[in-house]
Amino acid sequence: MKRVMGTSVSRKDGFAKVTGQATYTAEHPLPGLVHGYLVTSAIAKGRIKSISTQKAEQAPGVLAVVTHKNRPKVFTPANDFRNSKLNEARLPLSDDQIHYGGQIVAFVVAHTLEQARDAAHLITVEYDIQTPLLEAQQAIYEALPDVKFNKGNGATGTTEAAITVEATYTTAKELHAAMEPHAIIAHWQADSLTIYEGSQWVMLHQRTYAELFGIPSEKVRLVTPYIGGAFGSKCFPWSYSILCAAVAREIKRPLKLSVTRRQLTTNTGHRAATEQTLRLAAMQDGKLIAISHAVKTYTSPADRFIVDCTATTPVMYAAPNIRLQQKLGVLNVATPTYMRAPSENPGMWALESAMDELAWKLNIDPIDLRLDNETRAHQRSGLPFSAKHFAECLRVGAEKFGWRDRPKQPRSLIHNGQLLGWGMAAATFPAMRGNTTVKVRLLPDGTVHVLTAGNDMGTGAYTMVAITAAEALGVPVEKVKVELGDSLFPDGGLAGGSQMTASLAPAVLKACEEVLQKANCTTANDACAALKQSGRAAFEAIATSAPGEDAQKWAFQSWGAHFCEVAVDEAIGRIRVTRWVSVMDIGRVMNAKAAASQVRGSVIMGIGEALMEECQLDPNSGYPVVYDLATYHYPTHADTPRIDVTFVGQPDLTFNPLGVRGVGEVGITGVAAAVANAIYHATGKRFRNLPITPDKLMA
Amino acid sequence: MKNFAYVRATSAEDAVRKLQTNANSQFIAGGTNLVDRLKVFLNTPVQLIDVSRLDLKFIESMPDWGVRIGALATNTAVADHPQIRQDYPLLSRAILSGASQQIRNVATIGGNLLQRTRCPYYYDTAFACNKRQPGSGCPAIQGINRMHAIFGASDRCIAVHPSDMCVALAALDAIVEVESSRGKRQIPFDDFHRLPENTPDRDTTLQAGELITAVILPPVSFAKTGVYLKLRDRTSYAFALVSVAAALEVRANRIHDVRLALGGVAHKPWRSAQAEAFLKGKLANPEIFQQAAEIALQGAKPLTHNGFKVEMAKRSIQRALTISAQGGGVA
Repeated sequence: MKRVMGTSVSRKDGFAKVTGQATYTAEHPLPGLVHGYLVTSAIAKGRIKSISTQKAEQAPGVLAVVTHKNRPKVFTPANDFRNSKLNEARLPLSDDQIHYGGQIVAFVVAHTLEQARDAAHLITVEYDIQTPLLEAQQAIYEALPDVKFNKGNGATGTTEAAITVEATYTTAKELHAAMEPHAIIAHWQADSLTIYEGSQWVMLHQRTYAELFGIPSEKVRLVTPYIGGAFGSKCFPWSYSILCAAVAREIKRPLKLSVTRRQLTTNTGHRAATEQTLRLAAMQDGKLIAISHAVKTYTSPADRFIVDCTATTPVMYAAPNIRLQQKLGVLNVATPTYMRAPSENPGMWALESAMDELAWKLNIDPIDLRLDNETRAHQRSGLPFSAKHFAECLRVGAEKFGWRDRPKQPRSLIHNGQLLGWGMAAATFPAMRGNTTVKVRLLPDGTVHVLTAGNDMGTGAYTMVAITAAEALGVPVEKVKVELGDSLFPDGGLAGGSQMTASLAPAVLKACEEVLQKANCTTANDACAALKQSGRAAFEAIATSAPGEDAQKWAFQSWGAHFCEVAVDEAIGRIRVTRWVSVMDIGRVMNAKAAASQVRGSVIMGIGEALMEECQLDPNSGYPVVYDLATYHYPTHADTPRIDVTFVGQPDLTFNPLGVRGVGEVGITGVAAAVANAIYHATGKRFRNLPITPDKLMA
Repeated sequence: MKNFAYVRATSAEDAVRKLQTNANSQFIAGGTNLVDRLKVFLNTPVQLIDVSRLDLKFIESMPDWGVRIGALATNTAVADHPQIRQDYPLLSRAILSGASQQIRNVATIGGNLLQRTRCPYYYDTAFACNKRQPGSGCPAIQGINRMHAIFGASDRCIAVHPSDMCVALAALDAIVEVESSRGKRQIPFDDFHRLPENTPDRDTTLQAGELITAVILPPVSFAKTGVYLKLRDRTSYAFALVSVAAALEVRANRIHDVRLALGGVAHKPWRSAQAEAFLKGKLANPEIFQQAAEIALQGAKPLTHNGFKVEMAKRSIQRALTISAQGGGVA
């Protein structure tokens, strides 16, 4: 049998996407569709004294103007991740209070988008303004006991240490900035609701709408065949989604809302800024004695979102004494949410920067320092790792990059008048999997039809599912027809936490095996022949995959290493990342092309975090001063070097029957630190506050 | 966006005539900036007069008198034009450092002159803005002003002009040709854009009813040494933190003539006349360039978040002059 898994397969949805045939949320054509537009707050804290909607109501084409005074009724969902989940616990327009700049204060519906937008601009709001809390330093922090962790004698076990490094590292408020803006179409037919909306978790999304409207979940259909990027921002309904669905019911028409690029900055989540103090203490030979990691992050008054930056600290490096602390403040800032490796990425920025500082201080190669302190088990749970090829990532990466030959001293590599610097950092991300169900049908002509509600947010899930079925049944990938992203299909779990492939592929495999069992054949060819002979239309199987007891015995984790070169024109503060090597251990690689692409995307996103991404807020109104993709800077092609990606390791068969761990997020962890570490090697300057913009580089 | 009437002009005369039929009319050509502004209610014209079909796409060489560029020549056409690339590489590079290829393919030269600031406070009607609504205030002064002006700002407006091309045109002493019902006139480039003073709503000295028809590039014998250095937060598709257009004519290691203009620092392209005067007749060496940079930044008034621009501009000037003295090239 020809192997498909692990080869490079071009994405099945590629042609549809580049020819415009892939239908994204805002593109679903519905007869009688009307349009909504949001009005958002221009202050960050206070209350609405008066809101004048008369002009808007009388404007041409307007069908509805909704404010807190006439908000549509919805039920309060359980919001517990099981029955339902909202991104903001505070329901939209629930009162006259303003908690952050850009909060929704009104919603206008009209026959056309232009009419709705025009009417929205006719609404005037008078506020009782209060002084907002916008600066992290001003927030009142509460300690989070769940995140606290002590091992040994915590931070006090440092007296015997020869060398310590202690520093504070910060990350900026970042936006997901997905190419596809958030949008929703809500269509009520009698008491049934169809929602077209990008969703990383189709069935939970469906159940949440059902709870919001007090109807059984069978009455809600969620359709999300294509998503143009989500990165964590499209997991649950946002406030705009709830409003759109609720108002659609009242006006009895299909209603579309496309959130503007400007309004995305405050109504669809962001990566919260963090402040992390790391203290590492080591013996002169490099053995860590103590790790202390203290974190401050914030949430909005409308929800409680925690960026658990210490999550990976007890995973990465072994030390007899560990102390982890996390504090949460409340600011008048829009609600943060998950963003690609939400906890692990900022956490690894601080940890991998501190490890580099320690390596310099000890005069030890940073690779050796990492190897000398490698973990065999998760120090929080005590569970051993099911598989770990971290050392191989470091070895292969170092070889490919030529790491060991580097001139050791900072400022010692000069090329064309620019300072070159080499940096490295480790990567890690937990492997997770959830319950999924898949239906597979084998047709007499050899077509394999796979259906599941799990979705493809641009990552390559269509292709991954097809590869799994093709391998299991011995048919060409082209013969596999995959349908995703519809709640009419069996529950496909969550496309988040890098777990879609690990969750879905085993279910696809099992369903395919059951199809062959039902056919009583060993190959799809024979099964097709049997269908033709018997006149039966199809062999069909529905199979479920779920994590087993193994999670109680093992810690599952992906690993990696990044190596990069930067060129710094110090006088004028100009920097380019000129070379990149990433080596990842992700268990089995399902699709070499898609997996490498995921790592490349992660590295690009991490370079953005390191050098340019920041959503600044106006200090008075709390409203972002970035408003589009020209003012929110993320890397362009010109900022992106060639990114060499290699995979090492073995299928992690303890984790799931295919040994696949997922690859969406591990690639971004450590990237920002690798860049900053390279800048240190280039310039001798240590940067601890992201992003490292030209003004900081030049200073 | 408010509804507006859309009409097409058949000639320059027709365009200016149509402009007079309604006080709230605007010309549209490439529309790459205007349409964005319409969508977010920064401009609410009653009538748009499409001038894009007028016969103003030419780029013509004028014997002994430089090059005349029609107002509707696209940014791409100018940047890629062999004579511009050869004789005015500074202009070509400045254009190519702005926007994206897609935008440059559509955006016109006349439109580039008239693009408006990207100050985030101007760009959102949720904020007050004296440029958008005279007298309403300037929240940028107490707000985030990292991108804002260090020269020529007023207590009404601290915005900067966003164009790269215009910085090169300022250095090249370009001339703007305009036409109205009152006839034609020529505006020296330095007089075309204005400082905000008490009327930041006005970016230029264009008078009511005037249409830009062409930009003239006078011959500059040493323009081939021209350098455009742009510093920004990412390598492409970002507005300048600071940019420098510089060209030197060096004879026997002595500076015979010089052009120096800065972008990203003022409400208009900022020509450094004093630094130019200082440089003339001096030796072309790092000490002189450093002194010129100090002179060029005299009088700079940084705000809360843009103090770095002063040093960044000084170093950029030195770098640009150094490269120009070596004969020019990519900076």
